[in-house]
Amino acid sequence: MPRAIRGVLIQCEPAIKSIIVHLDSVNNDIIIEDLDEQTLVVKENMVQLLKQKLEDRLKETYRPEEPLADSD
Amino acid sequence: MSLGGQQLLEYLEKLPGTAFRRLYQSPATALAIFRRMLSYHAKVIVRGLLYMPDPLPLPTLDIWFPPEAGGKIHRDRTIAALRSLHILQVSSPGKDRTQEIQITASFKKGLQLAFEGGGEDGSFGVPSSLPVDPTIDIGYLDKYARKKWDDILHYVVNSLGVQSSSEGVSGPKASVKELLLAGRLVERRPDTRTGIGITQAGFTFLLQESNAQVWTLLLLWLEAADHAADSGMDSIDMLSFLFMLSSLELGTAYDTSALTETRRNMLPSLVDFGLIYFPRDTRQFFPTRLATTLTSTASALRTVSSAFTAATANASGEPGTTTSASGATPADKTGTSKGIIIETNYRIYAYTTSPLQIAVLALFCQLNMRFPNMVSGRLTRDSIRQAIGFGITADQIISYLHAHAHQQMVRETTVTGKPVLPPTVVDQIRLWQLENERMQTTAGFLFKDFESTEEYAALSKYAEEIGVLVWKNDKRQLFFASKHEQLRDYLKSRKKGE
Repeated sequence: MPRAIRGVLIQCEPAIKSIIVHLDSVNNDIIIEDLDEQTLVVKENMVQLLKQKLEDRLKETYRPEEPLADSD
Repeated sequence: MSLGGQQLLEYLEKLPGTAFRRLYQSPATALAIFRRMLSYHAKVIVRGLLYMPDPLPLPTLDIWFPPEAGGKIHRDRTIAALRSLHILQVSSPGKDRTQEIQITASFKKGLQLAFEGGGEDGSFGVPSSLPVDPTIDIGYLDKYARKKWDDILHYVVNSLGVQSSSEGVSGPKASVKELLLAGRLVERRPDTRTGIGITQAGFTFLLQESNAQVWTLLLLWLEAADHAADSGMDSIDMLSFLFMLSSLELGTAYDTSALTETRRNMLPSLVDFGLIYFPRDTRQFFPTRLATTLTSTASALRTVSSAFTAATANASGEPGTTTSASGATPADKTGTSKGIIIETNYRIYAYTTSPLQIAVLALFCQLNMRFPNMVSGRLTRDSIRQAIGFGITADQIISYLHAHAHQQMVRETTVTGKPVLPPTVVDQIRLWQLENERMQTTAGFLFKDFESTEEYAALSKYAEEIGVLVWKNDKRQLFFASKHEQLRDYLKSRKKGE
């Protein structure tokens, strides 16, 4: 019989994926299965934490411009 | 299918087969499922098979779903949906016989009874023969249901710490509060003023249309009954009662003595939700619009008000065309819903005094000023990101703004034919969301370690046919599916067939 493993499929850009792989390399507690360049399966309970960590990581590099503030 | 229907479907799919057999004993349930839960294709199949004495060979369906027009996918998905509701039986495939389908006996009987009338008395409720209080009309019931429901919403919103200034808000009953807590729409937080804080699920709940909100709460109620097995409540009977309520007629009094005792015991809870009105010292109950729209596609309260406003807008152009409009105007003036103006520079002006609406706006706007009859603010990247952090989607925000747009905006667009909301703002809200969503997540199951290539090929093909396949890699023989129950059954029957 094949096995069915519960998890969350994540589809993203290769750059984002490499960040996830990097985050996982600390404790190896996020990724269940690395599928391909843009796809991997992670543990269900780690998704929220992962999003948070990803956000933190991207904040360092990404600063979009706010529309000009006008007087209120 | 609306969001409310989707939630119900997910709940139903988890029920065991025996539960369905009991549910379908009630013609009202069978009819409600047929009406509300089935797609157009599924209805065609059910209607066609309903009076067929013998099972039908599966290939016969190709007439309705021509394979050359890509009908196979439709056919297989429809059949999978019908099977998950235990409406359709499909015989297992064999080498030398074709598959056959038939309607399950219990659903067949239930729906036939519903169409022809018959079976037990009162399966669609028994109207009361006693004299009815003439003051209880549809308008009264709508007002009553709206007040009850707004009380519940106020409770969820007020947990946000927004000061409620309106009078006459009594808050929902303790039992309802417990449900909201148990469903994690709100949670206990000692640091807030009320000791209660709203959760992410609560935000999503607030922005749903009221029909979906009602179902959210009712499903919480059913789950609570499941957990407290000693309460004497039976979730299947409760569900079946809800389906019956949804088939009743608004504005008619029904006899409580025709109900079983367990169902009579459910009435107080339904009163707390505002689904029924139960005058004191009578043996009558009135379903409200919240109950009668449970399984129809007609909208419940919230959008009724917008329909009314549309009607009044119409009436101002052509005097005397609508009579129902006059009754609705007072409610509109004190109004909770209408009157958000949004400009192309992201500024928002909302003509409202309702703490409920202001609190909802505060979820995704940066509010700057408050006047006696309006608040103003603007949409910013941060305010939208904060909302998305709460679990609100860009589409929810856009549809909320759209549904509550000021008459002036709506009127202008009917003249010029432009969209109601400024496209720049709509696009920007979506872009702000995309910025936040760098990965697409799908919960489900990874299938791996197949015994043979054939097994992999067959199962992944089946998963694709029933519409649960999300991702696959033929080379590595891996695939990811959003559900696994039917795949498991398929594997079992395949093993048997070998």
